[in-house]
Amino acid sequence: MTKSEHSDDVLEALFAEARSHPPALPDRVLARVIEDARRLQPSSAGNRMRGWWRMLGGLPGLGGLVTATCVGFWLGVAPPEGMPDLADQILGQQVMADETAPDLSGFGWDIEEG
Amino acid sequence: MRTGPACLAGPVGLTPESMHHFPPDPASDAEALLLARYAGGDAAAARVLASQLAPRLFAHAVRVLGDGHEAEDVTQEALLRLWKIAPDWRAGEAKVSTWCYRVVANLCTDRLRKRRSVPLEDVAEPADPRPDAAQLLQQRARADALQAALQSLPDRQRQAVVLRHIEGLANPEIAQILDIGVEAVESLTARGKRGLVAALAGQKEALGYET
Repeated sequence: MTKSEHSDDVLEALFAEARSHPPALPDRVLARVIEDARRLQPSSAGNRMRGWWRMLGGLPGLGGLVTATCVGFWLGVAPPEGMPDLADQILGQQVMADETAPDLSGFGWDIEEG
Repeated sequence: MRTGPACLAGPVGLTPESMHHFPPDPASDAEALLLARYAGGDAAAARVLASQLAPRLFAHAVRVLGDGHEAEDVTQEALLRLWKIAPDWRAGEAKVSTWCYRVVANLCTDRLRKRRSVPLEDVAEPADPRPDAAQLLQQRARADALQAALQSLPDRQRQAVVLRHIEGLANPEIAQILDIGVEAVESLTARGKRGLVAALAGQKEALGYET
């Protein structure tokens, strides 16, 4: 057996002994770990809120919603030049519609029915 | 460290998503299932998971740090982070134990950066049920010699050697834990073993091995 092989054997023997005798975790540490788990365990109400939050897309979903809301609000307050004012158009069409609507009373149905 | 959110502050910013390369095996699925049960309100699941993970993480921390008290704190802190992240854990994206080992490895690295010399008398004694006095002395001498040799290695080599040759993890998993490539793991463990052989040279007889 060469010197190198012998050294490897010794090292492997030390590794094997280390594997078979791992450092023992003190009970008090395990108790502290379990106490941490108990203290940090999510509540069922928290789980429900988390479920809703996830369903709504989480932080990215909320970010998109806030951005869209802000952009929409700003376009309403200060619309860019050249953009047709849809509100005016819609209201104007309604006014025109009122003016051009046929006068159903003109048919004289109310008179015919006495 | 005992309790409190302050212990969550630190440089270990790991998420299960950042470690999704390593395919989960049935054992890790069981760990992930226990974690999911804990997140769902099952207190018993945390006890089982802690009983499985804490001794392994502690053993690794002791061997890397060479200090039982610091290893206790590292173990508690790593699992504290696991409990915190439990509700957001995505099963199948990372092994729970690999994630924990990685947190422990990073916490150990941080602590090792803050100090360079470790008193060997602080190393936790190996648990042994019924050895006689001579056997006990021999075992302690071997454990101390191995620990002293490990402490003589650079931090990363020590982590790699402990994970590979004592914890028995596979190289791809060690690569994930240390955030390096598999070839780098092989290089670290090979250099680490050579370093250990050099550090232990001349002690074979003293350790009870024939020359």
